[in-house]
Amino acid sequence: MDDYLIGVLTNIGLFGFMALSAYLLLLAGEMSFGQQAFFGVGAYSGGMLTAMLGWPLPAAALAAMAMGALAALIVALPTLRLRGLYFAMATLAAAEMARIGFELLHWQVVVAGEPTGPDGTQGFRGIRWVFENGVEPGTYLAIIWTLLAMVVGLFIAMERSRLGAALRGVGEDPELSASLGLNVIRVKLAVAAAAGALAALGGVLYAHHNTYIEPRNFDIMLGVHSLAYALIGGLGTVFGPLLGVLVDIGLLEGSRVFQGYRMIVFGGLVALLLMVRPRGLLDEGTVQWIKRRFS
Amino acid sequence: MDKKAVLLGLALALPLPTWAQRAQAKLECRSTGTDYVYDCIIRLTRGAEPLQGAKITVGADMPSMPMAHNVKPVQAVPGDKPGEYRVTLDLEMQGEWMVKLRLSGPLKDQLMLRYEFDASGARPLKRADRPPRK
Repeated sequence: MDDYLIGVLTNIGLFGFMALSAYLLLLAGEMSFGQQAFFGVGAYSGGMLTAMLGWPLPAAALAAMAMGALAALIVALPTLRLRGLYFAMATLAAAEMARIGFELLHWQVVVAGEPTGPDGTQGFRGIRWVFENGVEPGTYLAIIWTLLAMVVGLFIAMERSRLGAALRGVGEDPELSASLGLNVIRVKLAVAAAAGALAALGGVLYAHHNTYIEPRNFDIMLGVHSLAYALIGGLGTVFGPLLGVLVDIGLLEGSRVFQGYRMIVFGGLVALLLMVRPRGLLDEGTVQWIKRRFS
Repeated sequence: MDKKAVLLGLALALPLPTWAQRAQAKLECRSTGTDYVYDCIIRLTRGAEPLQGAKITVGADMPSMPMAHNVKPVQAVPGDKPGEYRVTLDLEMQGEWMVKLRLSGPLKDQLMLRYEFDASGARPLKRADRPPRK
Protein backbone atom coordinates (compact mmCIF):
# COMPACT_ATOMS: atom_id res chain seq x y z
CA MET A 1 0.00 0.00 0.00
CA ASP A 2 1.50 3.40 -0.91
CA ASP A 3 1.91 6.34 1.47
CA TYR A 4 -0.98 8.26 -0.07
CA LEU A 5 -3.52 5.46 0.33
CA ILE A 6 -2.35 4.81 3.88
CA GLY A 7 -2.76 8.54 4.62
CA VAL A 8 -6.27 8.72 3.15
CA LEU A 9 -7.43 5.57 4.96
CA THR A 10 -5.90 6.79 8.24
CA ASN A 11 -7.76 10.09 7.93
CA ILE A 12 -11.02 8.31 7.11
CA GLY A 13 -10.56 6.10 10.17
CA LEU A 14 -9.76 9.00 12.48
CA PHE A 15 -12.69 11.05 11.22
CA GLY A 16 -14.83 7.94 11.70
CA PHE A 17 -14.52 8.27 15.49
CA MET A 18 -15.68 11.88 15.36
CA ALA A 19 -18.57 11.09 13.01
CA LEU A 20 -19.73 8.24 15.25
CA SER A 21 -19.48 10.51 18.27
CA ALA A 22 -21.79 13.05 16.59
CA TYR A 23 -24.08 10.23 15.39
CA LEU A 24 -24.49 8.86 18.93
CA LEU A 25 -25.71 12.23 20.15
CA LEU A 26 -28.00 12.61 17.12
CA LEU A 27 -29.60 9.27 18.00
CA ALA A 28 -30.39 10.73 21.41
CA GLY A 29 -31.96 13.73 19.70
CA GLU A 30 -29.13 16.18 20.37
CA MET A 31 -27.17 18.06 17.73
CA SER A 32 -23.74 18.96 19.10
CA PHE A 33 -21.39 21.41 17.42
CA GLY A 34 -18.82 20.80 20.13
CA GLN A 35 -17.47 17.27 19.79
CA GLN A 36 -14.14 18.69 18.61
CA ALA A 37 -13.51 19.80 22.20
CA PHE A 38 -13.44 16.19 23.41
CA PHE A 39 -11.30 15.19 20.44
CA GLY A 40 -8.90 17.90 21.65
CA VAL A 41 -9.11 16.74 25.28
CA GLY A 42 -8.19 13.24 24.12
CA ALA A 43 -5.34 14.51 21.95
CA TYR A 44 -3.84 16.73 24.64
CA SER A 45 -4.28 14.39 27.60
CA GLY A 46 -3.10 11.32 25.67
CA GLY A 47 -0.15 13.24 24.24
CA MET A 48 0.86 14.56 27.65
CA LEU A 49 0.68 11.12 29.21
CA THR A 50 2.92 9.43 26.63
CA ALA A 51 5.29 12.26 25.72
CA MET A 52 5.74 13.89 29.12
CA LEU A 53 5.05 11.14 31.62
CA GLY A 54 6.23 8.15 29.61
CA TRP A 55 2.97 6.17 29.69
CA PRO A 56 2.42 3.47 27.07
CA LEU A 57 -0.12 4.43 24.41
CA PRO A 58 -2.83 1.88 25.34
CA ALA A 59 -2.94 3.11 28.95
CA ALA A 60 -2.82 6.73 27.80
CA ALA A 61 -5.68 6.08 25.36
CA LEU A 62 -7.86 4.64 28.13
CA ALA A 63 -7.06 7.58 30.41
CA ALA A 64 -7.74 10.03 27.56
CA MET A 65 -11.13 8.39 26.95
CA ALA A 66 -11.94 8.78 30.64
CA MET A 67 -10.92 12.45 30.43
CA GLY A 68 -13.08 12.90 27.33
CA ALA A 69 -16.08 11.32 29.06
CA LEU A 70 -15.55 13.48 32.14
CA ALA A 71 -15.25 16.66 30.06
CA ALA A 72 -18.40 15.72 28.12
CA LEU A 73 -20.29 15.17 31.39
CA ILE A 74 -19.16 18.56 32.67
CA VAL A 75 -20.52 20.18 29.50
CA ALA A 76 -23.68 18.05 29.39
CA LEU A 77 -24.79 18.63 32.98
CA PRO A 78 -25.71 22.30 32.49
CA THR A 79 -26.52 22.16 28.74
CA LEU A 80 -28.77 19.09 28.40
CA ARG A 81 -31.69 21.02 29.82
CA LEU A 82 -31.53 23.13 26.64
CA ARG A 83 -33.25 22.05 23.46
CA GLY A 84 -32.47 22.19 19.74
CA LEU A 85 -30.64 25.28 18.57
CA TYR A 86 -29.93 26.41 22.13
CA PHE A 87 -28.17 23.14 22.92
CA ALA A 88 -26.20 23.35 19.67
CA MET A 89 -25.07 26.90 20.49
CA ALA A 90 -24.15 25.95 24.05
CA THR A 91 -21.98 23.04 22.86
CA LEU A 92 -20.28 25.30 20.33
CA ALA A 93 -19.55 27.85 23.06
CA ALA A 94 -18.15 25.12 25.32
CA ALA A 95 -15.91 23.88 22.49
CA GLU A 96 -14.57 27.38 21.87
CA MET A 97 -13.86 27.72 25.59
CA ALA A 98 -11.93 24.45 25.44
CA ARG A 99 -9.95 25.64 22.42
CA ILE A 100 -9.04 28.88 24.18
CA GLY A 101 -8.10 26.77 27.19
CA PHE A 102 -5.64 24.84 24.98
CA GLU A 103 -4.22 28.19 23.81
CA LEU A 104 -3.55 29.15 27.42
CA LEU A 105 -2.05 25.79 28.35
CA HIS A 106 1.71 26.00 28.88
CA TRP A 107 3.32 23.03 30.57
CA GLN A 108 6.59 21.65 29.30
CA VAL A 109 9.17 19.24 30.68
CA VAL A 110 12.56 18.35 29.23
CA VAL A 111 12.48 15.01 27.44
CA ALA A 112 15.65 13.77 25.68
CA GLY A 113 17.12 17.26 25.96
CA GLU A 114 14.14 19.03 24.38
CA PRO A 115 11.24 20.88 25.98
CA THR A 116 8.15 18.77 25.42
CA GLY A 117 4.53 19.57 26.18
CA PRO A 118 1.79 22.04 25.32
CA ASP A 119 3.15 25.51 24.53
CA GLY A 120 -0.02 27.53 24.00
CA THR A 121 -0.60 28.68 20.44
CA GLN A 122 2.81 27.31 19.41
CA GLY A 123 1.36 23.85 19.76
CA PHE A 124 2.51 20.62 21.32
CA ARG A 125 5.39 18.87 19.57
CA GLY A 126 7.11 15.60 20.25
CA ILE A 127 4.17 13.19 20.72
CA ARG A 128 6.43 10.44 19.46
CA TRP A 129 5.31 7.23 21.14
CA VAL A 130 4.23 5.61 17.88
CA PHE A 131 7.36 6.73 16.12
CA GLU A 132 9.77 5.77 18.89
CA ASN A 133 8.19 2.35 19.27
CA GLY A 134 8.72 1.54 15.61
CA VAL A 135 5.04 1.40 14.69
CA GLU A 136 4.97 1.74 10.92
CA PRO A 137 2.20 3.77 9.22
CA GLY A 138 0.57 0.60 7.86
CA THR A 139 0.51 -1.00 11.30
CA TYR A 140 -0.91 2.15 12.86
CA LEU A 141 -3.61 2.20 10.18
CA ALA A 142 -4.50 -1.39 11.12
CA ILE A 143 -4.70 -0.38 14.81
CA ILE A 144 -7.02 2.54 13.98
CA TRP A 145 -9.34 0.43 11.83
CA THR A 146 -9.37 -2.43 14.35
CA LEU A 147 -10.46 -0.02 17.08
CA LEU A 148 -13.03 1.53 14.75
CA ALA A 149 -14.38 -1.94 13.89
CA MET A 150 -14.68 -2.70 17.61
CA VAL A 151 -16.62 0.54 18.13
CA VAL A 152 -18.90 -0.29 15.18
CA GLY A 153 -19.45 -3.76 16.68
CA LEU A 154 -20.45 -2.17 19.98
CA PHE A 155 -22.88 0.14 18.16
CA ILE A 156 -24.46 -2.82 16.32
CA ALA A 157 -24.84 -4.75 19.56
CA MET A 158 -26.31 -1.69 21.28
CA GLU A 159 -28.79 -0.98 18.48
CA ARG A 160 -30.07 -4.56 18.65
CA SER A 161 -30.54 -4.35 22.41
CA ARG A 162 -33.19 -2.69 24.59
CA LEU A 163 -30.65 0.05 25.23
CA GLY A 164 -30.65 0.92 21.53
CA ALA A 165 -34.44 0.99 21.43
CA ALA A 166 -34.48 3.20 24.52
CA LEU A 167 -31.91 5.51 22.93
CA ARG A 168 -33.88 5.96 19.72
CA GLY A 169 -37.05 6.41 21.77
CA VAL A 170 -35.44 9.16 23.82
CA GLY A 171 -34.19 10.77 20.64
CA GLU A 172 -37.47 10.71 18.79
CA ASP A 173 -39.95 11.39 21.60
CA PRO A 174 -38.47 12.16 25.00
CA GLU A 175 -41.87 12.89 26.60
CA LEU A 176 -43.26 9.52 25.53
CA SER A 177 -40.09 7.78 26.71
CA ALA A 178 -40.36 9.51 30.09
CA SER A 179 -44.01 8.47 30.38
CA LEU A 180 -42.87 4.86 29.80
CA GLY A 181 -40.58 5.15 32.83
CA LEU A 182 -37.28 6.00 31.16
CA ASN A 183 -35.03 8.47 32.93
CA VAL A 184 -34.41 10.67 29.88
CA ILE A 185 -31.77 12.89 31.47
CA ARG A 186 -29.79 9.92 32.72
CA VAL A 187 -29.85 8.29 29.27
CA LYS A 188 -28.73 11.53 27.64
CA LEU A 189 -25.92 12.02 30.17
CA ALA A 190 -24.66 8.49 29.53
CA VAL A 191 -24.80 9.12 25.79
CA ALA A 192 -22.94 12.42 26.14
CA ALA A 193 -20.19 10.73 28.18
CA ALA A 194 -19.87 7.84 25.71
CA ALA A 195 -19.75 10.27 22.77
CA GLY A 196 -17.06 12.30 24.59
CA ALA A 197 -14.99 9.16 25.20
CA LEU A 198 -15.32 8.16 21.55
CA ALA A 199 -14.20 11.57 20.30
CA ALA A 200 -11.30 11.49 22.78
CA LEU A 201 -10.20 8.10 21.43
CA GLY A 202 -10.09 9.63 17.96
CA GLY A 203 -8.12 12.55 19.39
CA VAL A 204 -5.46 10.48 21.10
CA LEU A 205 -4.97 8.40 17.94
CA TYR A 206 -4.75 11.59 15.84
CA ALA A 207 -2.15 13.18 18.14
CA HIS A 208 0.07 10.11 17.97
CA HIS A 209 -0.33 9.81 14.23
CA ASN A 210 0.62 13.43 13.67
CA THR A 211 3.24 13.82 16.47
CA TYR A 212 2.12 17.47 16.74
CA ILE A 213 -1.13 19.16 17.76
CA GLU A 214 -2.16 22.78 18.23
CA PRO A 215 -5.34 24.50 19.44
CA ARG A 216 -6.42 25.40 15.91
CA ASN A 217 -6.79 21.69 15.13
CA PHE A 218 -9.85 21.69 17.36
CA ASP A 219 -11.88 24.58 16.04
CA ILE A 220 -15.42 24.57 14.71
CA MET A 221 -14.56 23.17 11.26
CA LEU A 222 -13.79 19.78 12.73
CA GLY A 223 -17.07 19.71 14.67
CA VAL A 224 -19.17 20.85 11.73
CA HIS A 225 -17.66 18.24 9.43
CA SER A 226 -18.24 15.46 11.95
CA LEU A 227 -21.88 16.44 12.30
CA ALA A 228 -22.23 16.77 8.54
CA TYR A 229 -20.83 13.26 8.01
CA ALA A 230 -23.49 11.80 10.28
CA LEU A 231 -26.22 13.82 8.55
CA ILE A 232 -25.01 12.98 5.01
CA GLY A 233 -24.45 9.30 5.70
CA GLY A 234 -27.72 8.86 7.53
CA LEU A 235 -29.11 8.08 10.94
CA GLY A 236 -30.57 4.66 10.11
CA THR A 237 -27.44 2.66 10.85
CA VAL A 238 -23.99 3.00 12.33
CA PHE A 239 -22.57 2.67 8.81
CA GLY A 240 -24.24 5.97 7.84
CA PRO A 241 -21.67 8.31 9.43
CA LEU A 242 -18.84 6.20 8.02
CA LEU A 243 -20.42 6.50 4.58
CA GLY A 244 -20.47 10.28 5.12
CA VAL A 245 -16.73 10.30 5.84
CA LEU A 246 -16.11 8.09 2.84
CA VAL A 247 -18.05 10.43 0.55
CA ASP A 248 -16.12 13.51 1.64
CA ILE A 249 -12.60 12.33 2.45
CA GLY A 250 -12.53 9.26 0.22
CA LEU A 251 -14.44 10.41 -2.84
CA LEU A 252 -14.36 14.24 -2.96
CA GLU A 253 -10.92 14.78 -1.43
CA GLY A 254 -9.24 11.51 -2.28
CA SER A 255 -10.10 11.76 -5.98
CA ARG A 256 -8.93 15.43 -6.10
CA VAL A 257 -11.53 16.00 -8.85
CA PHE A 258 -12.75 19.28 -7.37
CA GLN A 259 -9.34 20.50 -6.12
CA GLY A 260 -9.74 23.72 -4.10
CA TYR A 261 -13.49 23.84 -4.75
CA ARG A 262 -14.15 20.73 -2.71
CA MET A 263 -15.46 22.63 0.33
CA ILE A 264 -18.03 24.40 -1.86
CA VAL A 265 -19.10 21.08 -3.38
CA PHE A 266 -19.25 19.53 0.09
CA GLY A 267 -21.38 22.38 1.46
CA GLY A 268 -23.72 22.15 -1.52
CA LEU A 269 -24.00 18.39 -1.04
CA VAL A 270 -24.94 18.82 2.62
CA ALA A 271 -27.59 21.43 1.72
CA LEU A 272 -28.99 19.27 -1.08
CA LEU A 273 -29.16 16.15 1.05
CA LEU A 274 -30.83 17.97 3.93
CA MET A 275 -33.57 19.01 1.48
CA VAL A 276 -33.94 15.72 -0.38
CA ARG A 277 -33.07 13.22 2.34
CA PRO A 278 -33.23 15.00 5.70
CA ARG A 279 -32.16 11.88 7.62
CA GLY A 280 -29.27 11.11 5.27
CA LEU A 281 -28.44 8.56 2.58
CA LEU A 282 -28.87 5.55 4.86
CA ASP A 283 -31.98 6.68 6.73
CA GLU A 284 -34.23 4.34 8.73
CA GLY A 285 -36.50 3.62 5.74
CA THR A 286 -33.60 2.69 3.46
CA VAL A 287 -32.05 0.48 6.14
CA GLN A 288 -35.38 -1.35 6.59
CA TRP A 289 -35.68 -1.76 2.82
CA ILE A 290 -32.15 -3.22 2.62
CA LYS A 291 -32.89 -5.58 5.51
CA ARG A 292 -36.10 -6.84 3.86
CA ARG A 293 -34.33 -7.22 0.54
CA PHE A 294 -31.49 -9.32 1.94
CA SER A 295 -33.28 -11.24 4.69
CA MET B 1 35.15 8.71 44.81
CA ASP B 2 33.81 5.68 43.04
CA LYS B 3 35.14 5.52 39.44
CA LYS B 4 31.77 4.40 38.07
CA ALA B 5 29.99 7.35 39.66
CA VAL B 6 32.53 9.77 38.16
CA LEU B 7 32.08 8.28 34.70
CA LEU B 8 28.29 8.42 35.02
CA GLY B 9 28.47 12.03 36.16
CA LEU B 10 30.67 12.93 33.21
CA ALA B 11 28.37 11.15 30.79
CA LEU B 12 25.37 13.06 32.13
CA ALA B 13 27.20 16.38 32.15
CA LEU B 14 28.36 16.10 28.55
CA PRO B 15 26.06 17.30 25.81
CA LEU B 16 24.10 14.63 23.98
CA PRO B 17 26.13 13.00 21.21
CA THR B 18 25.26 13.96 17.65
CA TRP B 19 23.53 10.65 16.93
CA ALA B 20 21.10 11.28 19.75
CA GLN B 21 20.13 14.75 18.56
CA ARG B 22 17.00 15.27 16.60
CA ALA B 23 17.08 16.66 13.10
CA GLN B 24 16.06 20.24 12.34
CA ALA B 25 14.70 21.49 9.04
CA LYS B 26 14.03 24.77 7.32
CA LEU B 27 11.96 25.27 4.23
CA GLU B 28 12.34 27.77 1.43
CA CYS B 29 9.54 27.76 -1.15
CA ARG B 30 8.79 29.73 -4.29
CA SER B 31 5.65 29.63 -6.36
CA THR B 32 6.10 27.91 -9.70
CA GLY B 33 3.52 30.19 -11.32
CA THR B 34 0.95 27.40 -11.35
CA ASP B 35 -1.73 27.89 -8.70
CA TYR B 36 -0.71 26.42 -5.34
CA VAL B 37 2.33 24.58 -6.71
CA TYR B 38 5.62 25.46 -4.99
CA ASP B 39 9.23 24.52 -5.58
CA CYS B 40 10.81 24.05 -2.18
CA ILE B 41 14.29 23.53 -0.77
CA ILE B 42 14.56 21.69 2.51
CA ARG B 43 17.67 22.39 4.58
CA LEU B 44 18.20 19.51 6.95
CA THR B 45 20.64 19.67 9.86
CA ARG B 46 21.47 17.68 12.95
CA GLY B 47 23.57 19.28 15.65
CA ALA B 48 24.37 22.24 13.31
CA GLU B 49 25.81 19.85 10.70
CA PRO B 50 24.08 19.29 7.36
CA LEU B 51 22.31 15.94 7.33
CA GLN B 52 23.01 14.09 4.11
CA GLY B 53 21.68 10.88 2.66
CA ALA B 54 18.25 11.17 4.22
CA LYS B 55 15.20 9.85 2.45
CA ILE B 56 12.46 12.45 2.96
CA THR B 57 8.78 11.95 2.28
CA VAL B 58 6.96 15.29 2.32
CA GLY B 59 3.26 15.65 3.08
CA ALA B 60 1.08 18.54 4.28
CA ASP B 61 -2.06 19.20 6.29
CA MET B 62 -3.97 22.34 7.23
CA PRO B 63 -4.03 23.01 11.00
CA SER B 64 -7.52 24.55 10.84
CA MET B 65 -8.96 21.51 9.08
CA PRO B 66 -6.97 18.52 10.27
CA MET B 67 -7.20 15.28 8.28
CA ALA B 68 -9.40 16.86 5.62
CA HIS B 69 -6.70 17.55 3.05
CA ASN B 70 -4.83 14.59 1.69
CA VAL B 71 -1.87 16.15 -0.08
CA LYS B 72 -0.13 13.35 -1.92
CA PRO B 73 3.20 12.65 -0.17
CA VAL B 74 6.19 13.19 -2.43
CA GLN B 75 9.83 12.15 -2.17
CA ALA B 76 12.39 14.93 -1.91
CA VAL B 77 15.55 14.59 -4.00
CA PRO B 78 19.08 15.68 -2.95
CA GLY B 79 19.83 19.31 -3.83
CA ASP B 80 23.02 21.14 -4.81
CA LYS B 81 24.54 21.58 -1.34
CA PRO B 82 25.06 19.13 1.53
CA GLY B 83 21.92 18.79 3.60
CA GLU B 84 19.75 20.31 0.89
CA TYR B 85 16.82 18.52 -0.67
CA ARG B 86 14.37 19.64 -3.36
CA VAL B 87 10.69 18.94 -3.57
CA THR B 88 7.66 20.27 -5.45
CA LEU B 89 4.57 20.70 -3.30
CA ASP B 90 1.14 20.69 -4.91
CA LEU B 91 -1.19 22.19 -2.29
CA GLU B 92 -4.93 22.79 -2.55
CA MET B 93 -4.98 26.41 -1.49
CA GLN B 94 -2.97 29.22 0.04
CA GLY B 95 -2.86 29.66 3.80
CA GLU B 96 -1.38 27.92 6.80
CA TRP B 97 -0.01 24.46 6.21
CA MET B 98 1.82 22.00 8.43
CA VAL B 99 4.47 20.47 6.23
CA LYS B 100 5.25 16.97 7.42
CA LEU B 101 8.74 15.58 6.74
CA ARG B 102 9.10 11.88 7.34
CA LEU B 103 12.78 10.96 7.43
CA SER B 104 14.33 7.59 6.87
CA GLY B 105 17.87 6.53 6.01
CA PRO B 106 20.59 7.55 8.52
CA LEU B 107 17.92 8.94 10.85
CA LYS B 108 14.30 8.00 11.40
CA ASP B 109 12.28 11.00 12.44
CA GLN B 110 9.21 13.06 11.68
CA LEU B 111 9.40 16.85 11.56
CA MET B 112 6.41 19.17 11.45
CA LEU B 113 6.99 22.64 9.99
CA ARG B 114 4.34 25.35 10.21
CA TYR B 115 4.40 27.65 7.18
CA GLU B 116 2.15 30.26 5.61
CA PHE B 117 1.91 29.82 1.82
CA ASP B 118 0.94 32.79 -0.34
CA ALA B 119 1.15 33.84 -3.98
CA SER B 120 4.92 34.23 -3.92
CA GLY B 121 6.13 31.47 -1.62
CA ALA B 122 6.15 30.41 2.01
CA ARG B 123 7.32 31.83 5.30
CA PRO B 124 7.62 30.21 8.73
CA LEU B 125 4.73 30.93 10.99
CA LYS B 126 5.03 31.63 14.68
CA ARG B 127 1.65 32.49 16.06
CA ALA B 128 1.53 35.13 18.76
CA ASP B 129 0.08 34.14 22.06
CA ARG B 130 -3.21 35.65 23.09
CA PRO B 131 -2.41 39.12 24.53
CA PRO B 132 -3.13 39.55 28.23
CA ARG B 133 -6.48 41.16 29.01
CA LYS B 134 -6.32 44.81 30.03
